[in-house]
Amino acid sequence: MDSADLHGVLASPGPLLNHAELTDVVEIAAWAGQLMLQNGADSERVERVVQMMGLGLGCNGLDVAVFSNTIIITTVSGAEFRTKVRRIPAWQVNMTIVSGVNRLSRRVVTDGLDRFEVRKELNRIAHLPQHYNRWLVVAMVGLACASFSHLFGGDWPVSAVTFAAATVATVIRQELVRRRFNQFLVTIVTAFAAGVVASMGPRLGWGNSPELALVCSVLLLVPGVPLINSAQDFLNGYPMMGVARGVVGLLISLSIALGLLLAMQLMGVSGL
Amino acid sequence: MTIADLLLLVLQDALWSGIAALGFAMLFNVPVRTLIGCMITGASGHAIRQALMLTGVGIEAATLIGATVVGFLALLLARRFHTPPPVFAVSAAIPLVPGVFAYKTMIGLLQIATVPTLSTEVLLETAVNGVKTMLLLAAIGLGITSPSLLFRRHLSLL
Repeated sequence: MDSADLHGVLASPGPLLNHAELTDVVEIAAWAGQLMLQNGADSERVERVVQMMGLGLGCNGLDVAVFSNTIIITTVSGAEFRTKVRRIPAWQVNMTIVSGVNRLSRRVVTDGLDRFEVRKELNRIAHLPQHYNRWLVVAMVGLACASFSHLFGGDWPVSAVTFAAATVATVIRQELVRRRFNQFLVTIVTAFAAGVVASMGPRLGWGNSPELALVCSVLLLVPGVPLINSAQDFLNGYPMMGVARGVVGLLISLSIALGLLLAMQLMGVSGL
Repeated sequence: MTIADLLLLVLQDALWSGIAALGFAMLFNVPVRTLIGCMITGASGHAIRQALMLTGVGIEAATLIGATVVGFLALLLARRFHTPPPVFAVSAAIPLVPGVFAYKTMIGLLQIATVPTLSTEVLLETAVNGVKTMLLLAAIGLGITSPSLLFRRHLSLL
């Protein structure tokens, strides 16, 4: 989608924005783009949301460049233009923020929100608390991994060991993420912890296929969002973003393997 | 195996993969109103893959079809709930991830490096597992993105 499409739809040639107004618009658009990129949106969606924000708020031209950790936006109104570079320090996955900013960008176009309302809404979305209680997430992630072990053919003891390992790992991961450690380090340490607890199964010979607990307890770390975004970015014409996200996904996968192998060495457990 | 047995197996599969998708949906902090949708999408994708595999389809083709179902279902639900499709698609895709193949590849690679008397069997098995892992990941990516490839022009604005 190029901006010409949006021009067609938004063909309401309002008054030109002055320098200060244009500054405000580029700031809001950059903020929206940052929230999208940092919480797990694919590149096309980031670009589209920024376009709708900027054009909906009254500028008549807009260009976006999305990089893996930076977003560059230029807004144009008549002869005036403003450019902003915004760094994205770290990413996480928060679909509520992605969904909220996405909806807001549509409301800017359909309901004609003004800059002040949009700013207020962005602030609200950015500071929404997590929907799900921390311990509920721990239990559900444990249950999810236990379900995987069941799907892969494990019996109840295997699922129980998987549940224990995955819940311990989730708690450790939450603590490390909160302390803002490097994401690869977090992954290695979490996979290690999961591996140590899951080794209990093979050590004690519990269940029909005890090693299955080792595999399934680290599935909570699977880099699903970077890998799926990578595929989406390649197909939608963002090859650089596709490469960057694919490499991140690969490195996270290798970190999982490293942490798990260290745990298996330590506990004296071998393959499946 | 009778049809009833088959159906029971598929339903069980749907239940467990639905729970798995639900867990990941919470981990990804999806909006509360989309939780059930995430669960249904995840269960459908995995159960369809399982059903196809039980009827003799290879895991690669079955995964591609399952992931395509996830992609289209996510698009339908996304329009219904006014939210981007990845909200549903990402957590629903996790149950399709080839965890065991990836793990076996990793163990195999380690054996190649460490076991002094290496058999060709280990080499072969590791290569097969590695290729399967990559194919399945590609199938998931392609399946989930297929709707956006087909409908991109329709979706271009709202």
